[in-house]
Amino acid sequence: MPKTAVWLIIIFTLLFILGINTGDIEYLNNLGNTICLSCIGVG
Amino acid sequence: MARLRTLVQTLVAFGTNAYLLFPFGGSIIYQGPLKAVCHPGLNCYSCPGALLSCPVGAFQNFMASIRFYTPGAVPHIGAIVIGYLGFIGAIVGRLPCGWLCPFGFIQDLLHKIPSRKLSLWAPLRWVKYGVLALLVIILPLFLVDSSTGLGHPWFCKLLCPSGTLLGALPMILLKPSLWATLGFYFWNKMTILVILVILAIFVSRPFCRILCPLGAFYSLFSRMTLVQLEFIEGNCVECGSCSRKCPMGVKPQSEYDSKECIMCLKCLDACQFRALQFGIRRPPAPQKKRTVSPL
Repeated sequence: MPKTAVWLIIIFTLLFILGINTGDIEYLNNLGNTICLSCIGVG
Repeated sequence: MARLRTLVQTLVAFGTNAYLLFPFGGSIIYQGPLKAVCHPGLNCYSCPGALLSCPVGAFQNFMASIRFYTPGAVPHIGAIVIGYLGFIGAIVGRLPCGWLCPFGFIQDLLHKIPSRKLSLWAPLRWVKYGVLALLVIILPLFLVDSSTGLGHPWFCKLLCPSGTLLGALPMILLKPSLWATLGFYFWNKMTILVILVILAIFVSRPFCRILCPLGAFYSLFSRMTLVQLEFIEGNCVECGSCSRKCPMGVKPQSEYDSKECIMCLKCLDACQFRALQFGIRRPPAPQKKRTVSPL
């Protein structure tokens, strides 16, 4: 097992959990449920 | 392996854009709990069929809304997106580009159109890191709209061809009132899309190789991924069949740990001498074996 990869997996998993605990899921859900006008090219 | 990859690409592309109620529901796009999950590839969340969020679009919006000076507010730095993408990148590197990205799949299909095939000028591959740094991080973070106090997702606004193809075009067809609001940004992105679609017929995966910020992010892990494509030098007869098959222009026998490798495993199929192996990364044995992961 490559140690670097294992450490990276652990670090990014912790970052993901941090995101969940700081309310990122709600933010992401609200974002995804809105039509992205920038993607469409309005403006 | 090629058939399996095409099957996976087809299932993922249609499976993650399977919201078929958009003509009948209250909203044109899917609005549900799955939107809290990011797609591992580039897939516009304004696509009427999209079930998941776009990781690049989401991350830009996190960057655009970070305002450290807002009293009492908790800044969302996009840890969930960085964690999610980093987790994938640390395990498989750019494999999602080769197997899971709908826009990569579209480019693969376009490249199957019979025509003269051209190679890409290699230094262009560095442009995508500039796109990642400038359009995805720096501009959304620092170029603040004075009227709203927020930044803009500049990659979506200026460049993203996936947004134009999967989001903008279906949306303006379903909602004709949007026509009146289309301006410079739309026509700019339409031009980029048309150029990339034509280019993809002659050059393999031009967007992935030149412009994709998601591919640029995943490629940062190329030397550290859990899985690897290992090059066994002793078995190689230098026939070059692996290089000729590579859609990203990688030469597996000389470019170890290439940041361009999308682990499509076409080289594995092409090699008749078992000079390439796919598996868990192992420490390289000098002289006999050298790592090519992610090829």
